Amino acid sequence: MADYTKYTNKEMQAITLAKCITNDNIAIVGTGLPLIGASVAKRLFAPKCNLIVESGLMDCSPIEVPRSVGDLRFMAHCGCQWPNIRFIGFETNDWLHDNERVVAFIGGAQIDPYGNVNSTCIGDYHAPKTRFTGSGGANAIATFNNTIIMIQHEKRRFMQKIDYVTSPGWIDGPGGREKLGLPGNRGPQAVVTDRGILKFDEKTKRMYLAGYYETSSPEDVIENTGFDIDVSRAVKLDAPDPEVIRMIREEIDPGQAFIQVPKD
Amino acid sequence: MSNKVCTLQEAVAKYVEDGDSISFGGFTTNKKPMAAVREILRQGKKDFVAWAGPAGSDWDMLIGEDRVKAYINCYTADSGVTNVSRRFRKKIEAGELIYEDYSQDAIMYMLHASSLGLPFLPVRFMIGSGLVDEWGISKEVRQTIDKLTDDKFVYMDNPFNPGEKVVCLPVPKLDTAIIHVQKASPDGTCILMGDEFHDIDIAVAARKVIVTCEELVSNDVIRRDPQATKLPCFVVNAVCEVPYGAYPTQCYGYYDYDNSFLKAYGAASKTEEDFKAFLKEYVYDVKDQAEFLEKIGVNRLLKLKVSDGYGYATDISKED
Repeated sequence: MADYTKYTNKEMQAITLAKCITNDNIAIVGTGLPLIGASVAKRLFAPKCNLIVESGLMDCSPIEVPRSVGDLRFMAHCGCQWPNIRFIGFETNDWLHDNERVVAFIGGAQIDPYGNVNSTCIGDYHAPKTRFTGSGGANAIATFNNTIIMIQHEKRRFMQKIDYVTSPGWIDGPGGREKLGLPGNRGPQAVVTDRGILKFDEKTKRMYLAGYYETSSPEDVIENTGFDIDVSRAVKLDAPDPEVIRMIREEIDPGQAFIQVPKD
Repeated sequence: MSNKVCTLQEAVAKYVEDGDSISFGGFTTNKKPMAAVREILRQGKKDFVAWAGPAGSDWDMLIGEDRVKAYINCYTADSGVTNVSRRFRKKIEAGELIYEDYSQDAIMYMLHASSLGLPFLPVRFMIGSGLVDEWGISKEVRQTIDKLTDDKFVYMDNPFNPGEKVVCLPVPKLDTAIIHVQKASPDGTCILMGDEFHDIDIAVAARKVIVTCEELVSNDVIRRDPQATKLPCFVVNAVCEVPYGAYPTQCYGYYDYDNSFLKAYGAASKTEEDFKAFLKEYVYDVKDQAEFLEKIGVNRLLKLKVSDGYGYATDISKED
């Protein structure tokens, strides 16, 4: 008999992502953990939410885990198949119409205290030590929508200054976005890591620890964050219901495409 | 009506020229014209200005073989298989690739603007990011590449809303577009099924268009349902019947991606030596698509057959 009371940090991360989605949300998801999280939300926490992907597939409810946003697994049974340009127009117009319903999930390799994200390169852009894919749809997503950022919680990733800004966050604090000509009423809402959930202070727009997992602690988060982080508001998050763990392992990602199940 | 049917070898020989500004249809691991890419590799065509869009191993192979003069990037990975395409990564890290980064939104809009015949394109993307702070290709180098504009972008004040800063993007002039479609007729009329991505945009925009198709159907049959046809005959220059022309990527209504083949490429492309060996085996030592498919084998291809109502390969034999 499988033991669903034991869970991994990745599963906890997916569940924490899932709880960022509400019933009236349209969630822009990618592949990987955000999709696992969105699938949990759709089945459990927010069954009325709608999932969309940047390739232009609208109102998705995949049965098998898609590997790419262009995957036929996203297309099967989706509400509407738009080309990518319509997706871009949609997210832009939702901002122009002042609709607050879209929440978007993006990932990255580096993040700074204001939620600016790098998914382009490590080191100098022109002579990088490590080169990544580049923006994909993340730049416009971060420009026009409220975002939930997913990243592994390591000191080398949580940096005072990141090497390249692929997706703008709160830039350098209050008024930073407006100053550059970005919508000021949109921006990063939370950062979900394998150690906890971080949010942004209303006044300073700086990241602070809002919640940590059973397996983590505020000290652990401080140690693995490369800039000063306020942990005074942090609460310990509840362990997941075994039923949710069962759902992830048996129904959502049975092939373990994105979450490895521990052997014992 | 002229007959545009030819072999893939003939089409690539005639319509893909060294130095072309070129774009492929499809999206990372979905409906990439992979057979055409292998033929381009075999024919030694080079010096491309690549409007790559959401790319994967299609452009990664051409980059690895030094066929690219300037690479216009927004995303390069076989998504879900590799975190980043390895030759793309290595060539950039080694300083051996001239590249520019835009966001995917910018590139998709630029290709669409090209299909609309617009002179330039004002957008609100990329502001406040490295995408405007850094130019992958400097103005000086751009001036030496005649298929690129001298500027990556230009800031402009919105004439209808003074004080609002917008980013004006250049509109690419495409020489060649290659797309893979489900059905085409000898005159060039095409049926595209599933997600169209930017396929229609580049086909409308480009001066030369090669279509590879799963099935060749008659000029009469293809006109039975004009709702299904997405490209009129006169847009297309060459029609090549190339079953499994998108393999190892997906083709809606026909086959799923071959994850094991994509994985094998992902692993091989980590080193120069294994990459060369992989291309020798699957590209250069293979005469054409028929021989390539023989090599892949019928059992492997049959497993990829999509299940009706799903659009991907799934085991429905155990359904209650």
